[in-house]
Amino acid sequence: MEILANLAHGFAVALEPMNLLWCFLGVFFGTIVGILPGLGPSATVALLLPLATQMSPTGGIIMMAGIYYGAKYGGSTTSILLNVPGESSSVVTCIDGFEMARRGRAGPALGIAAIASFVAGTVGVVLLMLIAPPVADFALRFGPPEYFALMALGLSMVVLLAGKSMLKALISMFVGLWLATIGIDMFTDIPRYTLDRIELMDGVSFVVVAIGTFAIGEVLANLTSESGGQKFEVPKGLRNLMPNWQDLKDSRFAFLNGSLVGFFVGVLPGAGSTIASFVSYGIEKAVSKHPEKFGKGAVEGVAAPEAANNSETGGALVPLLTLGIPGSGTTAILLAAFILWGLRPGPLLIQDHPELFWGLVASMYIGNVMLLIFNLPLVPVFAQILRLPAYVLYPIILGVSMVGVYSIDQRLLDTWLVAFFGLLGYLMRKMEYPAAPLILGIVLGDLMENAVRQSLMMSRGEISILYSRPLALTMLILAAAVLVGPMFRRIAGWRVKVIEQEA
Amino acid sequence: MNRWRNLNKSELIAAALLFALGAAIMSRAWEWPYLAEDGPGPGFFPLWTGIAITVLSAGVAFFHVYAVFKQQPVERTSWDGAARVLSGWAGLAVSIALLKPAGFVVSFLLLVLFLVIFIFRRRFITALAVGLGSCAGFWLLFAKVLNLQLPVGPWGF
Repeated sequence: MEILANLAHGFAVALEPMNLLWCFLGVFFGTIVGILPGLGPSATVALLLPLATQMSPTGGIIMMAGIYYGAKYGGSTTSILLNVPGESSSVVTCIDGFEMARRGRAGPALGIAAIASFVAGTVGVVLLMLIAPPVADFALRFGPPEYFALMALGLSMVVLLAGKSMLKALISMFVGLWLATIGIDMFTDIPRYTLDRIELMDGVSFVVVAIGTFAIGEVLANLTSESGGQKFEVPKGLRNLMPNWQDLKDSRFAFLNGSLVGFFVGVLPGAGSTIASFVSYGIEKAVSKHPEKFGKGAVEGVAAPEAANNSETGGALVPLLTLGIPGSGTTAILLAAFILWGLRPGPLLIQDHPELFWGLVASMYIGNVMLLIFNLPLVPVFAQILRLPAYVLYPIILGVSMVGVYSIDQRLLDTWLVAFFGLLGYLMRKMEYPAAPLILGIVLGDLMENAVRQSLMMSRGEISILYSRPLALTMLILAAAVLVGPMFRRIAGWRVKVIEQEA
Repeated sequence: MNRWRNLNKSELIAAALLFALGAAIMSRAWEWPYLAEDGPGPGFFPLWTGIAITVLSAGVAFFHVYAVFKQQPVERTSWDGAARVLSGWAGLAVSIALLKPAGFVVSFLLLVLFLVIFIFRRRFITALAVGLGSCAGFWLLFAKVLNLQLPVGPWGF
């Protein structure tokens, strides 16, 4: 009952006209920056930090959180329509989302992404409201060995992203892990694989690799004929541009899976929405009755990662609000805003500033509804982009990609790198090396290396620390099961074949 | 020895290049400390990554050769249209090279003209319309509305 009373108080705060306006502006700008590749929520929140600190803390945090989860909504649009992932967490959405667009189902894909985002965003807020303190305590039990095990679990998803050849998927993943090592080594300050170029000291951005291999690789693959390769179909009629009942029915488990995985991974500082989206996609494919449809335009393949991506926002706010620990770039800037307002997020925040915490929670309910109302009617409009002829669409994709990567750090080297990875993406397509494991490797590589090295430092080189703690061991067993599972399925298949032949 | 005609050279070349990449990663990683006083050094992770790439690429080559030897069905890589793809990519590379001296608008306009006229074989007037329209759209949206810093040429755009 106390929670309901607090929530009612939160709604009273969030429904104040000015707070409603900040919420709307936050989700609106969030959606726009989410659609544009390169300009992520952390950069936008940072840009608006000076403005937000002039506002009341409640209004400011409502607006900044709106940008954070609004950007997650917008991120799926270019992934589905143009195969351009704006964020690393949108890479998984490209796999089935773009395939759906190719098959004339861009509208349903966008619609399902919006609905999944709404459902998961709401679930994330409910969980934030109900179980924030105990979950935050649980997250604190995650030390480097547990993070290593979590990364291993994330990397084991390569099995589910592999195309025809597991060896090629593994090579792609290891190349991604190597790319993650480029730059200054955080522990020793030694530059690694930088070719003595200052621009490479910060490493290679995963956005550059993702846009290159997915978007530019796709454009290049379609330049083989004058017509521009495969034509996209966009069905006429509003009904055909929206998800149907069957799509919703097929996605119901994906909504739940993505919501829970996204929230709990989001709670872990540093884990982020990329792992959440890959893991939820992997779970969805693993439990699906028709895993063969994944990668070929399965609606669940869009619903699960999009749900995870959005639910992660609620999870990421848990350690920030209850412990004062930022788990990502965006939450670190939110923490800076709290400090500039003279507030200290931590166990006493909810008690000392209930109007701020509950106002934020209530505004997130309202913001999610705003986003759904704002995004669903735009689905048919966005889907019309695919009606553009190839000679208009592909130059636009190249332009968006160039601007997207250049706007990250204003470095020309990034535009060269995106062209290089574009050619690599084309060659990978031709040689049937999947690109998604490459992104998985580059995103998780840094985190995994840090976790391994910190763990072995803790144990003074004793490797058993990686598997001796119960949580870590459980996750490693899960990772091993995911890796070995398909092998058993193949052996069982051979057995059946032999028995059939003998009969 | 007809069976060797089924060898997919592209597959073997790709595997060889990856093998070389893995070896290069390993050799560079070898120069850095594998173990430091308080745990793994900077060479630890890249070394194992290089080993994995080398072993796996050798595996790809081995299994391909084995499949050909056993006369199992082997897919061939088609390079039809690769010249057009490389031309398109070269156009993109030239456009990127022009970003600094000519600015985003001019270099992107030239890229669009090249793609629409030479790759998609459309008329010059169509190419010009697409080029000017997209350049104006990008410049307005990114440079003016979102205030992003795009490379600027001597003409101020």
